[in-house]
Amino acid sequence: MEAVDVRVLLAPAISFACSGLVFLMGRNVFWRRFWSLGAASLKFVVVLSMLPAALAGKTLVWNLIEFTPGIGIAFRADALGMFFALVSSALWLITTVYAIGYMEPEHAKVRFFGFFALCVSTTVGVAFAENLLTLFVFYETLTICTYPLVIHEETPEALRAGRKYLAYTLSGGACILLGAALTYQVAGTLTLSKPGIVPASADVRTLAVLFATLIAGFGVKAAVMPLHGWLPSAMVAPTPVSALLHAVAVVKVGAFGVLRVVYNIFGVELLKRLGFALPLAYLAAFTIIAGSVAALFQDNLKRRLAYSTVSQLSYIVLGAALLTPASASAAVAHIANQAFAKITMFFAAGAIQRTTGKTQVHELGGIGKQMPLTMAAFTVASLSFVGMPLTGGFITKWYLSVGAFESGMWWFALIMVASSLLNAAYWLPIVYLAFLKGPQEVAAAPREAKPSLLVPTVACAVWVLVLGTTSDVPGMPFALARAAVEFVFKM
Amino acid sequence: MWWQWPHWLPLAVLVPLGGGVVTPAVARGSARRAWGWAAGVSAATVAVSLALVIRVARGGPFSYAFGGWQPPYGIEFRFDEVSAFAFVVAFLGALAIVFSRQYAPHALAEPRVPYYYTLLLLDIAGLIGFSVTGDLFNMYVFMEIVSLTGYALVAISGERIAEMAAFKYLVLGAVSSLLALFGIGMLYGVTGTLNIADAASRLGAAASTMPVIVAVALLVLGFMVKAALFPLHVWLPDAHAIAPSPVSAVLSGLVVKLGLVGMLRLYGVVYASRAVDLSSLNWLLTWLGAVSIVMGAFFAIFQDDIKMMLAYSTISNIGYIVMGFGLASQYALVGAAVHIFNHALIKSALFLAAGAIIYQTGYRRLSDLRGVGRGMPLTAAALSVGAVSIVGIPPTAGFLCKWYIALGAFEAKRAAFGFALVFGALFIFVYYIRMVNAFYFQEPVHADVTHVGDPPLSMLVPVWILAALCLIMGLAGKVPLTFVAPAVSRLLGPLGG
Repeated sequence: MEAVDVRVLLAPAISFACSGLVFLMGRNVFWRRFWSLGAASLKFVVVLSMLPAALAGKTLVWNLIEFTPGIGIAFRADALGMFFALVSSALWLITTVYAIGYMEPEHAKVRFFGFFALCVSTTVGVAFAENLLTLFVFYETLTICTYPLVIHEETPEALRAGRKYLAYTLSGGACILLGAALTYQVAGTLTLSKPGIVPASADVRTLAVLFATLIAGFGVKAAVMPLHGWLPSAMVAPTPVSALLHAVAVVKVGAFGVLRVVYNIFGVELLKRLGFALPLAYLAAFTIIAGSVAALFQDNLKRRLAYSTVSQLSYIVLGAALLTPASASAAVAHIANQAFAKITMFFAAGAIQRTTGKTQVHELGGIGKQMPLTMAAFTVASLSFVGMPLTGGFITKWYLSVGAFESGMWWFALIMVASSLLNAAYWLPIVYLAFLKGPQEVAAAPREAKPSLLVPTVACAVWVLVLGTTSDVPGMPFALARAAVEFVFKM
Repeated sequence: MWWQWPHWLPLAVLVPLGGGVVTPAVARGSARRAWGWAAGVSAATVAVSLALVIRVARGGPFSYAFGGWQPPYGIEFRFDEVSAFAFVVAFLGALAIVFSRQYAPHALAEPRVPYYYTLLLLDIAGLIGFSVTGDLFNMYVFMEIVSLTGYALVAISGERIAEMAAFKYLVLGAVSSLLALFGIGMLYGVTGTLNIADAASRLGAAASTMPVIVAVALLVLGFMVKAALFPLHVWLPDAHAIAPSPVSAVLSGLVVKLGLVGMLRLYGVVYASRAVDLSSLNWLLTWLGAVSIVMGAFFAIFQDDIKMMLAYSTISNIGYIVMGFGLASQYALVGAAVHIFNHALIKSALFLAAGAIIYQTGYRRLSDLRGVGRGMPLTAAALSVGAVSIVGIPPTAGFLCKWYIALGAFEAKRAAFGFALVFGALFIFVYYIRMVNAFYFQEPVHADVTHVGDPPLSMLVPVWILAALCLIMGLAGKVPLTFVAPAVSRLLGPLGG
């Protein structure tokens, strides 16, 4: 059931307008904060107001313009898109609060907040894209808009990282463009509103090339190994950017694209018959393990976070590639589970850096006594990654394991176990260091970060617990993930 | 309706031609009066050519027979969808002239300024004439008007380096014109007519195909030198980089397209008559197009002079278009034809913005221009929009051609060229990102660059009109794509594909 509704357009348009206003009036601190916070709140409310419709199985659409004959820039908020849009608009709001506090001593704040808003606009554009070309338009715009954020420091190192970032992501974009053209040639349409558009009658080799091209294109931003090289380098960006873009927006756009390719371009039925998803599942499993192993050896906290992201994103890819309903709901839910847990950690890392100047893991001895709330939030996020029950991460791991058994490939459940152990091996030592080690005299004076940094951190950590305990509550995120899966599997 | 008046078609050429010739007389030595007159004439040309575009959009192609002598015996002007290039010429020419208000007296000796406008207007007249003529010999005549005024415009500053660049341009340009003339002569010998439509119908009956092949080869060679396809591009970078910036915009955006519009006319004749099989020529053009994309980008990477970079980027973009011609499928040709228009817009935006920056700062090397994004925020922003557009990031104008030629490559079952095009474009990004980095993100070398301020409105307004069009023509891509589609169907129709 579809209904034309302007809110689907408003969601990306609000933050687009916000960036314009920030560029125009942003030299004034008040207006910059006013527009950034105002637009973030407004957008969150707009997206939230669409939730009841999405849960009721109603899809809201809006056709903006016809871009090339027959293919428009069109928006369509199905359950999967809604899920992603909700996560990103909620986190935009929280991150804006954090960024205002964090960026205070930085230069070029107008540029920063302007492009920040543009990035979220394009992310929601990706979420609501009705067809592959619209998705590609926003995907590429996102690449361009994140560039000024990645190189914000303007140091030679930052510029180098920026170049690497562009080289990877634009090559990925080129693959998607070719894939989209080939899809159009094969299927005669690019719509993402159906569970699969590629005809089963097409030549198998063409389909293999198509699948490989599209997955390679989206795999760059989803940081599937060996296409992950840009992500650790891009950690030179300011922490709010790393948090929102490199744990949530940019990388999730890639993962989201993989979900779209698997569920809406090819469709589960066809992929099961063709068997293309199996190599992807192996690649994802490899990335999960290899990313975690690499994270073990990082001493810089943000780099450890980056490799952990590489590993975690492949949960989504693996969930998609297993092609079962349970694994699919894990994949969709992990968009939120990973986002909130990872952003908690980034916020904590940024708060520690701004308050104490520490950036390396070995310096963190006793930090838990100094910043107990921050480190408590960090601990919750760690437990989520390890997969403790009651946290969001457990939901993902549970349903992924169920999916592995459903698909008859039980060994992927072992990957989950191994990954849990590895996550424990690189997160829990930090928790141990923070609370149980370190100089005793520091413990005397707790010195938390300022409220604008602390509150978002704790809020995200609390939400990680909510995600982990509400998987059966109607109206909560997991219900939406289920609605998305039901559409894909025509249940 | 006003646009139906039949005499607009000859007027589109006669207005700038006549207006250009009398400019020095009207100006009587004053640069300001010369500008006013030239701007007025070019505005009139825009209005006239707009009438023609409206008419072709409503009712399809139409012709005009001079003095009532019907073709093929009389001289014919014929306006089809490809001729809509005339409107782009008039529009960009007008913007270049507006831009010249302060630029020309700054770049040239005052007494030369009226002649500068004369040459620009004649150049515009020649380009419009070339795109609307229905006669092979007149094509040559208009091509020569464009080329000769082009040589003079490159040399007009009178500096030694400009004269050398113009001479290089002249030598290669003259050779290519002669080749084209021979080709036209041979076609005349084979068919006994100079009218394009008539030649198309008679060429199929040619007794022997050999002269036709030679004629086509000569014309293609001539046109490809004019279009600066690699490896026939050697004249272009110096000429385009050294000319005054409004001239660079016209040369790079419009004058090189002469060869491409000429190619479309030639295809029209040969495809319709099916006299010779062009598949091996198309095979060659596709390859040369691909090589052109990569080589243009490769040379541009090593440039420090910002206008030199832009000049090499033209070679890459010509490569896109020629590749589209060579693929010879509906999508690819539509994409190529639209890119003739879009590249004109984008490249003019870039050259005019670069000209404004050079005018304000006095520097033209990237290493000197570091930090100019802070000093000239609006101009640098326009240049960045142009850069994003020419690389083909959606939803800007440059994206359409990439998307359509990629579709066309799959349609023609030559996917590898789609691949070459899309990844070649990445190569182009390398040097544009260097430009953006230098403008915004690198430590300034000259402190004065960071507070020079944006240029006068006569420069800023044309630059921003073009930058805005880079976005609008992308978002409204449906308009040009559906506009040229009938012309391409007509062109490919005889091939049955």
